[in-house]
Amino acid sequence: MTGEGPSPPGRKILIAEEGFSMDEAIEAVKRDDAGAVVAFIGTVRDDGIDSLHLETYKEAAEEELLAIREEALARFGLLEAVVIHRSGRLRIGDEIVIVACSAAHRREAFDGCRYILEELKRRAPIWKKEVGPAGERWLEVGGDPAHDPARGREVP
Amino acid sequence: MLVHIRAFASFREILGKEADLEVGEGSTVGDLLEILVSSHQGLGPAIFEEDGRLREYVIIMKNRERIDSLEGLATVLEEGDEVAILPPVAGG
Repeated sequence: MTGEGPSPPGRKILIAEEGFSMDEAIEAVKRDDAGAVVAFIGTVRDDGIDSLHLETYKEAAEEELLAIREEALARFGLLEAVVIHRSGRLRIGDEIVIVACSAAHRREAFDGCRYILEELKRRAPIWKKEVGPAGERWLEVGGDPAHDPARGREVP
Repeated sequence: MLVHIRAFASFREILGKEADLEVGEGSTVGDLLEILVSSHQGLGPAIFEEDGRLREYVIIMKNRERIDSLEGLATVLEEGDEVAILPPVAGG
């Protein structure tokens, strides 16, 4: 675990300005009736960059994450789910996001965790800018590369 | 009347982060975007296709609701509304 920033007691959804505790997020979804806890943790990959800047439309992102969480609880029978996403400047290896889910069995926990992550990437108003030796570049999936060659790179 | 404009990521670099803008009573989101395009170089081609339609991947929100689910560019603005202009998202 890294960072001593805000932890999520009582908060199911958080856009965090500082590092968060992965342990606390996982603890927060554990329940006696859950036989499975799945957590996805996204980290900053070294793609020859110096840092990654995360910008969010905080209020709208929190609303969207809340909606996605509710969908996952209903669709996959998750017992609990916590989502924390960073904003601000991050370095290589820093945690970007944690999606922690609990369910009675592993399948629901895996499926629900994946659903939250994929929908978050598709819907939450959050943007990444790579800062490196070659300059700065927004990663805007779905943008028109023909319009601006610096944009539109698909992030795997 | 005043409406509040917010832009993010590459659009923020064109528009600046936040501003209040005076628009006429009954103005629509489309009217507002026209004003912004005429006063900010580079915004037009960033958000509109050549035929004047909004680019598919550009998200416009009024009070945190996508205008697709309202009346689109014809959505009427009211005093104090917050209009947000969002490029394609890339979280996670």
